[in-house]
Amino acid sequence: MSVLPFAIRRSAATKPSRSPPPATLRVATSPQGGGIARVLQALALLFCVGHAAAEDIQSPLGLPPVPAMVAGTPAMRRLGEKLFFDRSLSANGTLSCAMCHIPAQGFASNQSALSIGMEGRSLRRNAPSLYNVAFKKFLFHDGRETDLAAQVWGPLLAADEMGNSGIGPLIARLRADVEYGPLFEASFPGEGATMMTLGRAIAAYEAALLRGGGRFDRAVYGGERAALTPQEWKGYELFIGKAGCAACHVLGPETALFTDQSWHNTGVAFRSGATGGKRLVQLAPGVLQNVDIAAIGLAQTGAPNDVGRFEITNAPTDRWAYTTPMLRGVSESSPYMHDGSLRTLAEVIEFYDGGGGANPSLDPKIRPLGLTPDEKAAIVVFLGAL
Amino acid sequence: MKSLPSRAVLCALLLGGAFAPAIADETCNSPFMSGLIKGQEQYLHVWTLGEKGVGDGSDKLVTIDVVPGSATYGKVIHTIAVGGRGEAHHMGFTDDRKYLWAGRLDDSKIFIFDVGSDPSTPKLVKTVDNLAESTGYVGPHTFYALPGRMLVQALSNKKDHGGVTGLITYNNAGELVTTTPMPLNDGGDGYGYDIAINPAQNRMLTSSFTGWTNYMMDLSQLIQDDSAMKNFGNTMVMWDLKAMKPLKVFSVPGAPLEIRWALKPGANWAITAGALTSKLYLIKQDDKNEWQAKAVADVGDPSKIPLPVDISISSDASSLWVNTFMDGTARLFDLSNPEAPKQVYAKKIGAQVNMVSQSWDGKRVYFTTSLLANWDKKNADNEQFLKGYSWDGKELREDFVVDFHKEGLGRAHHMKFTARAQKAEAP
Repeated sequence: MSVLPFAIRRSAATKPSRSPPPATLRVATSPQGGGIARVLQALALLFCVGHAAAEDIQSPLGLPPVPAMVAGTPAMRRLGEKLFFDRSLSANGTLSCAMCHIPAQGFASNQSALSIGMEGRSLRRNAPSLYNVAFKKFLFHDGRETDLAAQVWGPLLAADEMGNSGIGPLIARLRADVEYGPLFEASFPGEGATMMTLGRAIAAYEAALLRGGGRFDRAVYGGERAALTPQEWKGYELFIGKAGCAACHVLGPETALFTDQSWHNTGVAFRSGATGGKRLVQLAPGVLQNVDIAAIGLAQTGAPNDVGRFEITNAPTDRWAYTTPMLRGVSESSPYMHDGSLRTLAEVIEFYDGGGGANPSLDPKIRPLGLTPDEKAAIVVFLGAL
Repeated sequence: MKSLPSRAVLCALLLGGAFAPAIADETCNSPFMSGLIKGQEQYLHVWTLGEKGVGDGSDKLVTIDVVPGSATYGKVIHTIAVGGRGEAHHMGFTDDRKYLWAGRLDDSKIFIFDVGSDPSTPKLVKTVDNLAESTGYVGPHTFYALPGRMLVQALSNKKDHGGVTGLITYNNAGELVTTTPMPLNDGGDGYGYDIAINPAQNRMLTSSFTGWTNYMMDLSQLIQDDSAMKNFGNTMVMWDLKAMKPLKVFSVPGAPLEIRWALKPGANWAITAGALTSKLYLIKQDDKNEWQAKAVADVGDPSKIPLPVDISISSDASSLWVNTFMDGTARLFDLSNPEAPKQVYAKKIGAQVNMVSQSWDGKRVYFTTSLLANWDKKNADNEQFLKGYSWDGKELREDFVVDFHKEGLGRAHHMKFTARAQKAEAP
């Protein structure tokens, strides 16, 4: 399996050895988003990048080509990496992109269910993995952004995330910085540090966070059947068959992004809103205590309500709906779902096997699955191979 | 930075006997401190968290006059706002007691105040603002004086904001000397919290808490987050002080926090409280002179998670104040048999209580309220005060209260004593 920032060479056959569901594949073969701004950005990129550099990121087996406009140049990606890990980009020097998207934790965070932002403020959602994020058409759990470079400014400016009070002061500081000033100028000749180039640099780094070419890809797209164990193959068959996972986590004939680039109400948010009262709390390894949360005075979480995609579209059918996450490297990025409410992949499979969380807007694809314990275990093992 | 911290200096002091335990001042101070207060403390310095909507909202060092009979007894006489809210937490004196180091757990800044020139009006003389970038650690918690050095226990790291962390040694000028990672092998979980040194034994104990994500998170949310609750320390470490090498890792489940060595001559044991498991743990040598840690008492009803936080041991090691944050209660344990501490007194101090400091003679006991900004209680239960009490061996009697909300100050956290007429301790 590969987690390859930067240059990756396709080295195996691209013809799938089996026949994953073909019909619903949507691959990002063109730049994300659209409009005049997008065209101007593409022209600017080609002007300062050139074809050879833009094509430098080569996708591993099982992934589509990275859109050249997002990939940028090696210099942009190096700059983007520096920015990604720089805590000084937050208002109080405490948070960087990498504090919620931790490389060793699948570019997500195993630390907590919900992300923790400026001065410890609780965010509403779990940090999503950034593996293969260059291919996502809809960013954030509610899909409210479609441009990876523009997305960067969401967390940078959110008061409860990185907390910058404005764009200008941050850009001015980067321009004046003895390290960043020249780096921006070298990466974006004639532009230097701007709101746009900062976003493009970080997006270029993120575009190189490719996860593919692993055992799953070698087995399914490379003809190397032995790359997966029999149990993993069983899990794969269930994934694309009886369990119906692939209806949303889509696989194509030559590549697999494991997403339909859409959003669904699985009932997690509705279910989460209904929890409370007593719960089993792990106080130390092997020390579990059934705690009445209200009785000990900790009932006020202050966690705000979350109705998902509905907040963006106001369409009642989007209530409690969230985008379909990609699944590469999913075993690294626990806890799961938009709110991190499920700790393990086994809990996720159990949740779906039970038909999700009943609610008025539940996606019709979510239904009881009738999986046996062996089948559930096989799907979990298969997911671990991605 | 790989050089060992002040080994030669430590050796010289240990061999020269300059480490004789202090027989004055607070019982939690480093044994390497000089200039101890004999008798009545005159000022209390409270490291105070800025609170949105309270005064200027900034962290500040607050100085309170505690000289009996003074016209300003029990009043705020000085404040220094340091700017921003960075999770002000603990403080510690340099070995000469002239400077007070105060840390912030969020932005990892360390503020060094001159309290030697005029303790009634501390002055900020230096800010260390590159701890994370220079060491990789974040959350400077405990400040423990070594000869010519300040040993700092961090709580977290800048890689993942988890609990794996290390010790940082600065010289007294605030320059980085070295870093020492907390052990990750032989049972070590890499976590850190407090430091306590027994120089006669050449032993240092450290305890363990949690990383940035958890200590910054809302407590109610935290306790309902199964992923986060896994990320607490469950160990203590016994170190060879001179070599700064871990010797043994003890299993001490549930976030063991403050450590206090018994200062009674010949009593080579230490005590701590497990915050989540609500137990007192004793660290003592067994019949084979092997150091062991074991649970010796419950604090309150562990099923209700009373959250024992700060502790303060009496100078003769006969008793221990233990604050339980959730019920705002100070509990006194009889330690005449440290193998079986018994609670002998309790008093509700307020809706919440965290820190406790007592004078060397045990006659004056001070309490403050704030634990962590997002762990403090909400709304009316978010009382923020410093309360001074007299202790006659039977009853705590309130002498004064400083309401940190009414005064527009914020959240009252760590206290330290100073005095104008302090005298150097005789060797």
